[in-house]
Amino acid sequence: MKYAFFQGCNIPIRIEQYANATEAVFNKFGVELQVIPEFNCCGYPVRNVDEKAYILPSVRNMAIAERAGLDILVICNCCFASLQKARHVLDNDKELKDELNAVLANENLEYKGTVQVKHYLTVLHEDVGTEKIKSKLVNKFKDLKISVIHGCHILRPREITRFDDSFVPAITEELMQTAGATSLDWQGRLECCGAALAGINDELSHMLLKDKINGALNAGAEYITPICSYCHLQFDTTQKNLIEDDKNSKLLPVLLYPQLLGLCLGIDEKILGIEQNSTIQPDDIERLKSLLGPPVEEKKRRKKKKVTA
Amino acid sequence: MTINILLGLAVIICLVGLFFRFSIWFSQGLQPSPSPVTAGQRFSTAVGAVLAALFSSKAILIVRSFFVDLLFQKRIFDKSYLRWTAHTLIFFGFIMLFLMHALDSVVTANFFSDYEPTLNPYLFLRNLFGVMVLAGLGIAVFRRITLKPQRLKTNPADWAALVFIAVIILSGMLLEGSKISSYTTYQNMIEEYGSFDEEESKALEAYWVQENGLVSPHVTKPQPSELVASGMEVNSDSCMECHAPNSSAFASFAVKGVTRPISAIFGDATAVNLFWFLHIVACFSFLAWLPFSKMFHMVSAPVSLLIKGAMGEDDKEAPANQLTHQMIGLSACTHCGSCSLECSSNMFFESFQNDFILPSEKVQYLKDFAAGKVTDEADLKRLQEGLYVCTSCDRCTSVCPSGINLKDIFVTARYSLLEKGIPETSMLSHFSFPLALAQNFAGDHLRALKKVTDLFKKSFQQLSDVNLPMTLSKKQGVDNNSFKGCFSCQRCTNICPVVRSFDNPVESLGLLPHQIMFSLGIGNTELAMGSKMIWSCSTCYLCQEHCPNEVELCDIFYSLKNDAINKMEAGANA
Repeated sequence: MKYAFFQGCNIPIRIEQYANATEAVFNKFGVELQVIPEFNCCGYPVRNVDEKAYILPSVRNMAIAERAGLDILVICNCCFASLQKARHVLDNDKELKDELNAVLANENLEYKGTVQVKHYLTVLHEDVGTEKIKSKLVNKFKDLKISVIHGCHILRPREITRFDDSFVPAITEELMQTAGATSLDWQGRLECCGAALAGINDELSHMLLKDKINGALNAGAEYITPICSYCHLQFDTTQKNLIEDDKNSKLLPVLLYPQLLGLCLGIDEKILGIEQNSTIQPDDIERLKSLLGPPVEEKKRRKKKKVTA
Repeated sequence: MTINILLGLAVIICLVGLFFRFSIWFSQGLQPSPSPVTAGQRFSTAVGAVLAALFSSKAILIVRSFFVDLLFQKRIFDKSYLRWTAHTLIFFGFIMLFLMHALDSVVTANFFSDYEPTLNPYLFLRNLFGVMVLAGLGIAVFRRITLKPQRLKTNPADWAALVFIAVIILSGMLLEGSKISSYTTYQNMIEEYGSFDEEESKALEAYWVQENGLVSPHVTKPQPSELVASGMEVNSDSCMECHAPNSSAFASFAVKGVTRPISAIFGDATAVNLFWFLHIVACFSFLAWLPFSKMFHMVSAPVSLLIKGAMGEDDKEAPANQLTHQMIGLSACTHCGSCSLECSSNMFFESFQNDFILPSEKVQYLKDFAAGKVTDEADLKRLQEGLYVCTSCDRCTSVCPSGINLKDIFVTARYSLLEKGIPETSMLSHFSFPLALAQNFAGDHLRALKKVTDLFKKSFQQLSDVNLPMTLSKKQGVDNNSFKGCFSCQRCTNICPVVRSFDNPVESLGLLPHQIMFSLGIGNTELAMGSKMIWSCSTCYLCQEHCPNEVELCDIFYSLKNDAINKMEAGANA
């Protein structure tokens, strides 16, 4: 299996570890991720200003993937939603498709609509499959409590993103379980991190972020796992900026899913770039590693869980 | 005599120009608030930093950068072999011609005691280097033409630089070509260096016509081979010591025919003088033009690259040096367009048709802006939009072959322009996210944002301004008419995390989500566009997902935002 690896603008420069960890994990399963330098911004940042300008870049990116004969694997939620939205819009609007294709024609590109856009979690969950993941596990977590924050644009609007049940998402749940981690049910897990308002209304943006941090901490989360790159930056950078203003608050460390799974697959923590998460301290990494144990039978673990529950 | 006056003039203009360009490094800058630092202080701070770097472990980095970045041009090599080939051919060809040929009395003659410009390898090398430069220029032209659809912009100044260098090389080749065929030149050589009897002269001439490309008025027919053979003997006895075969000047030898019509019209001595004059004038003009053109990068790009080589990622600069660094960066731009080719925002350029969205075009204009030369409101506004429609992916900075810190220049320029007072509506987009994240210029950002918010307030009426009772209107302003399905159950408002964040949401947000749908329902798009709610929407889509009647609230908010921005822009321009 080989995919065109769509990283967006934030990940290569600000969250390199997300791309590296994802690649390392996929390589374990023989999935090759090809970086395509011609990819440009997905269009998301301009959406408030001009809807058509928002669609065009994604169409170009899909056309480039089509030319390369590859399906697209996305890590950022907002990029994912933009690509899916562009696809959806053009599927239903032939006129716009022709208009945008005319722009692309200058570069000898054409969007036909044959490319598939997949979120990396879908590829892990469906194409690789939890059984295969289990078979490769070297370690498994025990008693690791995680708050997953899905991020909005992967779940909703469901008819566009087509990722998972937008009210009761199960993919992350199962993937967490596979690594032996407990995905907590917490206030805010399906809500907004505030990124979309950053720089426009910082006060509100911070309010939404703090809400989520408190929600996760109150549920007893030891780490937060953001799926989206924007959520990641909110929790890993903005959270830190906020804490600097307020010394009393507790820092909620960020751990990305490929980093978490990577540890279970026996990938070196340096390759996974765990220490590059700015909210994670050396003790956090030590504690994380101390929770790793040999992969136990699923049945036993479930029984145990029932007893403790 | 004339040549010395011309050379003197060219050198003086060049030196004055260089002084002028260097003084810009320390006197101009991009900054939101004017800094109190004087040019003198900036100069001394810069000298201090350079000395500190030279006498520290950084010196190793600088030496490394000299070989890797300057001589080998690794930054270009990593990005494009074709461009690296072009640049290397021009760079080495030109430098070698300059040292070996232009400065032969100073350099070559000192290193090689038996130096004669007519001897090999010099004769051959001159041609080789010339052809290298021409080949490089050819690739450069090819690149500029073929990459045009990929948004590579070429200005007249770029063509001028290519043409200028081509003229220098070609005029040199034509000069040599005209000399090769010139009978006058041949006679002068005979008079100066040889003493032959009549027979020897005849043989030698026959040989030179046959083998060295000489065009003699006496020798028109093919000469008998015995005569040529004895000419060859004379040649090897008397000439070879100082004059290699002209065919080793392969390029000039090939183009000598081109010069013949001119020699035929004006006489070969005049033709030689003409090409000599052309060559000299081209070279001297280039020297004088250099500091005022993009060729100044020959000086500034190495400085920029050495600074980049010496500075670590996290090194902090003194504010005075930051300004100087910016100006060195701006002067090091060669308008090669690498940044624009890789710019992540390049599709926004296609949508907005604003050249300034492309980094390479911004830089050109920012030079003028830093000099205070840009005053046209419309230009400033477009430049500002170009600076703001940027995803902050930093690709431009990482690809720039001159090592310009474009990111720093653009961020500073952005706030420096926003300070000028034109509200920038694209601040209300997610382009603001990375800026908020980096927390640079936080105060400036808030001030600029306030201008946009004020413009927003001015452009739209609020619910409190409306004369009640409100009436139905047929006018409908959004394409997405799913709002018609709204039956005011208020599920959207109740699920909204933003509404939940306020104690008094109506006061803080203007209209609540269901009220926005209601105002669209009664045909009052204006009111909907004017509510603060649309700009406070976190775009989480919870409302849309939870709506029992499939009203696409979040999507409608997006189109209201688009429309509101258009209206604000139209109002600001009116």
